[in-house]
Amino acid sequence: MTPPPPATAVADLGRPTSVVQDSKINRDILNPTRYVSWQWGAMLLLAVIGVVQGFATLAYQTYVGLGVAGYQAPVFWGVYIITFVFWIGIGHAGTLISAILFLFRAKWRNAINRGAEAMTIFAVLTAALFPLIHIGRLWKFYFLIPYPNQRGLWVNFKSPLLWDVFAVNTYLTVSLIFFFVGLIPDIAIARDRSTGVKKFVYSLLSLGWQGSSGQWKAHNRTVLHLSGLATPLVLSVHSVVSWDFAMSIIPGWHATIFAPYFVAGAIFGGFAMVLTVMIPVRRIFGLEAYITDYHFENMSRFILFTSWIVGYAYAIEYFIAWYSGVEAEQTSFWLRAFGPYWISTWIMIFCNCIAPQVLWFQKLRTHIPTLFVLSVLINIGMWFERYVIIITSLSRDFIPGAWGLYIPSPVELSVLVFSFCWFSMFFLLFIKFFPIIAIAEIKELAIHEKAHGEGH
Amino acid sequence: MPTLVSIFDRPQDVVSAVKKLKGRGFDRVETYSPAPFEEIDEAVDPKPSRVRLFTLIGGLTGVFTGFFIQIWMSLDWPVKIAGKPFASIPPYVIIGFELTILFGGILTFLGLLIVGKLYPRFELDPAYSPRFSGEEFGVVVTCRDRDVSEVDALLRSNSAKEVSLVDA
Repeated sequence: MTPPPPATAVADLGRPTSVVQDSKINRDILNPTRYVSWQWGAMLLLAVIGVVQGFATLAYQTYVGLGVAGYQAPVFWGVYIITFVFWIGIGHAGTLISAILFLFRAKWRNAINRGAEAMTIFAVLTAALFPLIHIGRLWKFYFLIPYPNQRGLWVNFKSPLLWDVFAVNTYLTVSLIFFFVGLIPDIAIARDRSTGVKKFVYSLLSLGWQGSSGQWKAHNRTVLHLSGLATPLVLSVHSVVSWDFAMSIIPGWHATIFAPYFVAGAIFGGFAMVLTVMIPVRRIFGLEAYITDYHFENMSRFILFTSWIVGYAYAIEYFIAWYSGVEAEQTSFWLRAFGPYWISTWIMIFCNCIAPQVLWFQKLRTHIPTLFVLSVLINIGMWFERYVIIITSLSRDFIPGAWGLYIPSPVELSVLVFSFCWFSMFFLLFIKFFPIIAIAEIKELAIHEKAHGEGH
Repeated sequence: MPTLVSIFDRPQDVVSAVKKLKGRGFDRVETYSPAPFEEIDEAVDPKPSRVRLFTLIGGLTGVFTGFFIQIWMSLDWPVKIAGKPFASIPPYVIIGFELTILFGGILTFLGLLIVGKLYPRFELDPAYSPRFSGEEFGVVVTCRDRDVSEVDALLRSNSAKEVSLVDA
């Protein structure tokens, strides 16, 4: 076909292929992926050292056997299970921010949702290791999966531990899908602005995203549906984890309040971890223009609110123990506060109920150093909450003759350190290669504001 | 057929341009935008996305699979646990629920890939430009040779910053 005599206006224009001036949002947010800062390198090195020592410890434990963990009758759930519950809890803030706040149309989530989702994925990835570490014989983990086998045996579907396998794996899969779907447009942005190997990898991962109307329409619908699916899921996962305890008859565990109590605790601890992670990231990569006081204030409010739910749950547990008239239950709770593990209980109460009260003051809700210290305290407090629930209850059950004490062994502490390094390693690698803030969502707000001027 | 690529700054201009083009009978219109704007997607194609069908199928498959495997497996090798029926429904709700979400999520993702025509590729549309992943919008019209000047004028009158011709 011969080209038509072109309209004069059309003739003198070439194809619009070159980026005239890239948008400021792209430059700011992709900036961390463009250079290696020494802080980032130092942190990654530390994390890798921690991971290596952890693998060495795990090899040792696998070779020698689970005896090297501090398990002592009757306490056979120790640091590994505590750390599992801790990391699963951390993983809840991400999906809460991305799914539930999406359904509520809380637009402030845009600046922090990517970071929180990444945190969720890596936290659940960390948590998922712990049941395997805990069973000691790693190579037998496949017994948990219902698959046809020549013994004709199936798993026990009435066991909360099996529900947990399904819940955690579903959570990991759906969070990963959610996370990746949100990343696709942003990977395409990075693809258009990179060359060589990076462009090749980004091209593969961006799946040919071009932001056409059909793609955005499918994308919006997908995000909506995934949010709808993930909202009940996020509430169910920690409920199922709590039933690992609540379905048993151990005094201190056998309580119907456990599911909401655990979910509130997970959101509380998860938001604290978002702060712990995002405050340094924001500082190091200069993202102050995107993650602002407003976001910190909103997160602080969430933390304050869930702190009260958690505090209320602690109080109600004591009330029910007294009200039940069950002697074992009453003794268990008395010993929780004044028995051999009193110090962990009071650390938990201080960090989770008393310290967050500083957030009543607006100045402190936006005071970054205070928030950082508080978030670390809350992380410690939430770890001790699980310590209190698991260890005090198991060590003091019905018959004093069966009581015992548990002290974490160096092997367990080494694996605990490993879990933090493992999480940090993935997170650091993520911020090096992918945008840490959801660029397309930030642009949606920016373009909207620009287009409608000051009127809105 | 010649393809015209035009560049816009504001989403509402894209919407009005697309509506006018459609009104004049130019149906081969595609837009590229740096962020989701539902009004643009509506203007190009008012039908709701087919992704929702995938979620429905996935969720239903999940709930049936969940209950089916649990009931079948516990009857296949019956073990009496806690004096409850071999296949007792209340505890099975949990895994039934989890599989509903799992299958629903996976199928929704598949739906995105199929409906959005997403697959790993290195050659993008000839009309696509990295500017559309900046902060600018693209409206791409494919029309007959003799309509080029009309489409060009129409785009410009709707505040297109630039219009250029790409041979398809």
